[in-house]
Amino acid sequence: MKKTLKYFLILVVVVAIAATGFVVYVYNKPHRNVAKEKAVTLTAEQLYHAFKDNEQQANQLYLDKAIELTGRIAQIATNQQGQTVIDFNTADSMVTINCTFKNKPANIKVGDSVHFKGICTGYIPDMNVVMNNGILVE
Amino acid sequence: MYTKLSLLFLFYVLSVSCLQAQKSFVTRNGQISFVATNDDDVSAVNNEVASRITNNGQITFSLLIKSFFFQYAEMQDHFNSDYLQSNTYPRSDFKGNITNIQSVNFSKNGIYPVTVQGNLTLHGITKPITVPGTIEVADNKIIAKARFILVLSDFNIHADRVAKKVAIQFNCTCQ
Repeated sequence: MKKTLKYFLILVVVVAIAATGFVVYVYNKPHRNVAKEKAVTLTAEQLYHAFKDNEQQANQLYLDKAIELTGRIAQIATNQQGQTVIDFNTADSMVTINCTFKNKPANIKVGDSVHFKGICTGYIPDMNVVMNNGILVE
Repeated sequence: MYTKLSLLFLFYVLSVSCLQAQKSFVTRNGQISFVATNDDDVSAVNNEVASRITNNGQITFSLLIKSFFFQYAEMQDHFNSDYLQSNTYPRSDFKGNITNIQSVNFSKNGIYPVTVQGNLTLHGITKPITVPGTIEVADNKIIAKARFILVLSDFNIHADRVAKKVAIQFNCTCQ
């Protein structure tokens, strides 16, 4: 009887540890770190054309993927949460590539040619292709 | 002949002035956030909302599901893969009208209460919605705000274990 109780207590402790571990894992799982991901390299123009020509196919290729974009900064802005956003122009004057930085980037200005590495979240027709979680790479 | 020409001219003047009279306010980085009505921890924000509002009352917005940022990465994964299926339905769109647009004076700063009516497409389902909100006219920009409750099952989203309803907060500064 005492032995059964002992095993039961051990089982309770093990389950408690496992449950705690699971909760800790769920609440602490880190967000994606773009810096460590392997990226597809494209120009802003190529990314725009991929979505403009065939949105479905471009979604399959690029949605949720890390992409390193090369382009010239057409505009610098701040979003409503204070994050820095840069736009790359495309062949269509209505459509931009809208790129939000994860952290405030050092010294950038309109006209600079940069490599922006971020995650592509999709395309909004007649508006923009959206990238976020971005960093600058050399 | 002269009458015809002058009519044509009149038509031209009218159409040009009509074009000028319609003004669009646009943003590519508006904000929409939501929080589950039963659990404050279930919340996310999207800072890449594209929205266009015209002074004759048309209002549209589009957002990408994958642009929602959760505090907890694990939640964000479940939201995208299990509940919203954002690979299949990457975007949500709204198209509608401000039904009392005549009560908004775009040339006078102030906060005007409005009612917005239109169709929301989410998770592949389109449903009419009517929500109350405000339009703030502040110099050359307008700030549109609205808060409303969305019942997830209306859009075939089954996240019962986590939430059945979410409070949506729309906050877009358009220029």
